[in-house]
Amino acid sequence: MEAAPRKRSQRFYDYSLLFTIVFLMIFGLIMIYSSSSYRAQIDYGNPAYFMIRQGLIAAVGLVAMIVISKLDYHWYARVWQLGILLAWGMMIAVSLFGRTINGRRRWLGTKSLSFQPTEFVKIAVIVAMAALIVRIGKDIDRFAGKFRAMLIVLPLALIVALNNLSSGIIIVGIGFVMMFVASKRKIDYIFCVAAAALVLIFAGPVCKALAGMGILKEYQLTRIFVWMDPEAYPMDGGFQVLQGLYAIGSGGLFGKGLGQSIQKMGFVPEAQNDMIFSIICEELGLFGAICLILMFMFMIYRFMVIAGNAPDLFGSMIVVGVMGHIAIQVILNIAVVTNTIPNTGITLPFISYGGTSILFLMVEMGMVLSVSNQIKLEK
Amino acid sequence: MFDWWAMNRNISSHRRKICAVCLICLLLSSVLIGRLCYLMIFRSEHYSQMAEDLHQRERTIKAARGRILDRNGVVIADNRTVCTISVIHNQIEDPEQVTDILSRELGIPQEEVRARVEKYSSREIIDTNVDKELGDRIRSFRLAGVKVDEDYKRYYPYGSLASRVLGFTGGDNQGIIGLEVEYEEYLKGRNGLILTMADAAGVELENAFEERVEPEAGADLTVSLDVNIQTYAQQAAQKVMEEKNAKRVSVIIMDPRDGEILAMVNVPEFDLNDPFTLNFEPEEGDMSSRQDLLNRMWRNPAINDTYEPGSTFKIVTAAAGLESGVVGINDHFSCPGYRIVEDRKIRCHKTSGHGGETFLQATMNSCNPVFIDVGQRMGVDTYYSYFTRFGLLGKTGVDLPGEAATIMHRKDSMGLVELATVSFGQSFQITPLQLITTAASIVNGGKRVTPHFGIRSVSGDGERIHEFSYPVMEGIVSEKTSETMRYMLEMVVAEGGGRNAAMEGYRIGGKTATSEKLPRSSNKYISSFLGFAPADDPQVIALIIIDEPEGVYYGGTIAAPVIKDIFENILPYLGIEAEQTEQESGS
Repeated sequence: MEAAPRKRSQRFYDYSLLFTIVFLMIFGLIMIYSSSSYRAQIDYGNPAYFMIRQGLIAAVGLVAMIVISKLDYHWYARVWQLGILLAWGMMIAVSLFGRTINGRRRWLGTKSLSFQPTEFVKIAVIVAMAALIVRIGKDIDRFAGKFRAMLIVLPLALIVALNNLSSGIIIVGIGFVMMFVASKRKIDYIFCVAAAALVLIFAGPVCKALAGMGILKEYQLTRIFVWMDPEAYPMDGGFQVLQGLYAIGSGGLFGKGLGQSIQKMGFVPEAQNDMIFSIICEELGLFGAICLILMFMFMIYRFMVIAGNAPDLFGSMIVVGVMGHIAIQVILNIAVVTNTIPNTGITLPFISYGGTSILFLMVEMGMVLSVSNQIKLEK
Repeated sequence: MFDWWAMNRNISSHRRKICAVCLICLLLSSVLIGRLCYLMIFRSEHYSQMAEDLHQRERTIKAARGRILDRNGVVIADNRTVCTISVIHNQIEDPEQVTDILSRELGIPQEEVRARVEKYSSREIIDTNVDKELGDRIRSFRLAGVKVDEDYKRYYPYGSLASRVLGFTGGDNQGIIGLEVEYEEYLKGRNGLILTMADAAGVELENAFEERVEPEAGADLTVSLDVNIQTYAQQAAQKVMEEKNAKRVSVIIMDPRDGEILAMVNVPEFDLNDPFTLNFEPEEGDMSSRQDLLNRMWRNPAINDTYEPGSTFKIVTAAAGLESGVVGINDHFSCPGYRIVEDRKIRCHKTSGHGGETFLQATMNSCNPVFIDVGQRMGVDTYYSYFTRFGLLGKTGVDLPGEAATIMHRKDSMGLVELATVSFGQSFQITPLQLITTAASIVNGGKRVTPHFGIRSVSGDGERIHEFSYPVMEGIVSEKTSETMRYMLEMVVAEGGGRNAAMEGYRIGGKTATSEKLPRSSNKYISSFLGFAPADDPQVIALIIIDEPEGVYYGGTIAAPVIKDIFENILPYLGIEAEQTEQESGS
C-alpha cells in the first residue's frame, strides 16, 4: 500500500548526522595536523604532509558520500554476492601480492595508489548481511539461517584476521550486531557476549597458564602481559601503550591546549594513527575527550533513529551494520588507548590517519544518509 | 526480487534490539569515560610526572663561586664572566656567514669552524672561555643557530700572589689546591638548573615551558692574609732568592697571639691565572711526568714539606729546659768546641769552642754543646714529654690540605746521641709552619695557637655569616718561661748571632739557623731566621727559609737581614710604633 507511485512527498535528510560527520572529519584533520606535524616536518619537510593527504581523500570521500546519499540504496542488494566475491578476490590477492608496510601485508595497489581491502570487506559484509537477513526472514532464528549468515561472515573474517586480527574482530562484531538485531532471540547472544567478557577477564591467568604449557607463542602473549602491567614491560611492546598513558595522564582536566602535546614529538609512535586519541587527551584534556566520545554517541544515536525509521528492513539493517562498525571501532580504539583491553591496532573512525579508512567510512555514511533520505515524513 | 517489506511486522522488535545495541554502546562508553576519568584525574599526577621525567632535560646554571678577600677586604680571588660559543646545527640558516664570522672573530681557521658547523649534532662547542666583550659582539650579529652562553671563570687579580696558598680552580670551577680546596664547601655555592622540555630525539623544544632553579652564589671567604704584607714579603723573598741563586725561599708571617697567618710566601710562585704552565724548565734528564712537574710547582713547601730546622729549634730546647727547671738563664757552661756523647764527638759550629759562657750567652752564640748538655740534663722522657706538650709531634691543624707531620725519632729508639742531635735541631724534620707555630706559642705566653687563614665566610646574599674558630691550648709553658725566652731571643738579635735583624727603635727577638742538607757531604744548606716583634709583646712573628743559597750561607748573614727588611716595612704598617725611648743598646 505504501508502494504507491511516487509523489512529491517530503523526503527526510538527516542533517544532524551530516553535520556530525563533517565536524568529526574536520576535527580529525586538525588533530592529524597537530599530532603528525612534528613527524611530517622531519620525514617529509612539510608539517602538513599527512593532513593534506588525508584532506584530499576526505574531500573525495565527501563528494562520494553526497552522491551515494542521493542514490537509491536498494540496488546494493542485487550485487551483494558480487561484493562478497570481490571481497574474497581482494583478500586472496592481498595475501598473495599485497604490499608490505611496517611488516604487515595489508595493502593492494602501487606505491602511489594503494588501499587496504579490509575496509572494503567491511562494507561488503554489511551489505551482504543486510540482503541475506531480508531474504531468509524468520529463518534467522533457525540453525540453517544462522549457518548461512555465518558462512558469509566467518570465513571472510578468518582470512582478514590472518593478517589483521583487529579487522577480523570488527567484521565478526558487525555480523554479530546485525544478527542480534534481526533475531527475535536474546539469550544466545547474551551468552556469547558473556563468554567473550569472561575470556577477557581471565585472559591474564589463562595466558600465563598457556605460556607455561607452551601452547601459545611468546609474542602473542606479550600483548596480554603488557596489557596487564605496561610499566613492567616498557621494552617489549609496553612502550607504545605506556607512552599513550603518559599522554593521557598528562592531559589532566582541560589538557595542555591544542598543539601543545609533547608526547607527539616522537614519544608516541605513529601519533596520528591508532594512538591519536591519546594525543587528543593530552591536548584537550578529559573535557575534550568526553566531548569527542559524546559526539560519537550522538552519531550512534542518529544511526538508531534512522535504523528505527528506515522505510524497510534492508535499509534498517544497513544502518545497523554501519552503526555496529562505528561503535565497535570507537569503543575498541578508546579501550586500547586507555589500556582497558590488550593492544590491537584499531583506528579511530574519522579521526585517525588512513586514506582507505576515511574513504570507505564516507561511502558507509553515504549509504546511511541514503537510507535516511528514503524516510518519508508524515504530515 | 526482494520482498523489502517482508518483516515489517517485526519492526517493533527490531527497534527494541537497536535500542539495546545503542544502550550497550552508551554503557561501554560510560565505562571508558570512567576509565578516562581515572587516568586523567587520579593517575594524572603519576603519568605527568613520568612523562615529565621523560621530557625534561636539565641544564645547569653555574653558581658564582665565592670570592676570597684578604683581611682588609681586598679581593684576591674573583670571578670573571666568560662565554662559551656553540652552534646548533638544526637552527643554522646561513652556514657560510656563521663560519665566516665565527672564524674571523674567534681567530679559528675556517676549515675547523666549518667542520663543526656542518656536523650534524645537537650542539657543537666552537670555543670556550671567550671574553665577555667578544661574546657580546658575536651575540650582536644575531646569527641563527649560534649560542653564546655565559659562564664564570676564576680570576686572580694579583696573579702569582700567594699562589701556593690560595690555589686555583679547575674546569668545573672546583678547587684544585690550597684554600680553594679547603673551603670548597663554602666557596662553591649551589648550581642552579634550567629544566627544559625535549622531544624524543633530545632536541630542546622552543617556547616550551621552562623551569628555573636559581643558582646560589658561593660564600665569600675572608682570609687572614694581608695583600700588602704578602706582596712585600714576596718581593723580599724573590730578591734574596735571586741574589743567592737559591732554589726556593719561603716566608711565613704570623700573628703569634692568635695564629692568623698574614703572609705565606713560597718563591718561585706560579701564575694562578695560568696554573698549567710550568714556571721552570725541567732539568735535563728529568723523567718526571708533566703532572709530577706541575704538582711540584703547586706544592706549598711551608706546609707540605719537612726540613731539618737546625738552630732555630734551640728555642724549643731552651723553653723545655727552662720550664723543666734543669737550666737557668745564668747557669754556667763551658764549650771546648765539641761534646762527646757516648762514643760520638759532636762538634760545635765554632770548632775552637766558645769557652766558658752562661746559658744566655750560649743561646746568643747558638752553642751546640751547651744545648746538648741541656738536652742530656732533661733526658729522653722529659724532653719528649715537652714535645708532646708543645704540640710538636702532630700537625698544626692549619686550614690547608696536605700538611706534613713531624718526622721525629720514636721515643723508645731515641738514645743519648739522638737526644743530643735533636737538642740543637738535627736528625729530625718538621715543617716550617710547625716550627713558627711552636715558637709563637712559646713567646706568646704559652698559648699553643692553631695557625690559620680562614677568618669568616659571608654567604652570597650577606645573610649568613660564619666566623671560623680554632682550638687554642693554654699553658704549654709558664708565663715566666715565656718571658725569659722573649728576653733571651731579644738578646740574640740585640747582641748575638741575629744582630743583622736588629732595627733602630724596635725590640726584635729571633734566632738564626744554618742547617746542612742531607747528605752532609753535598755542601747544600738551608739558612733560616725566625724573628718576632716587639720582643716584649710579640704581635708579629716571621720565619724565612732560604733553600740552597750559593756563596755565604749563614742564616745570620743572609736570612736575618731579609726579615729585618720586611719588619722595617710592615711594623709601621701594622701600627707597631718605633719606641722613642732609649733602647737598651748592646756594647
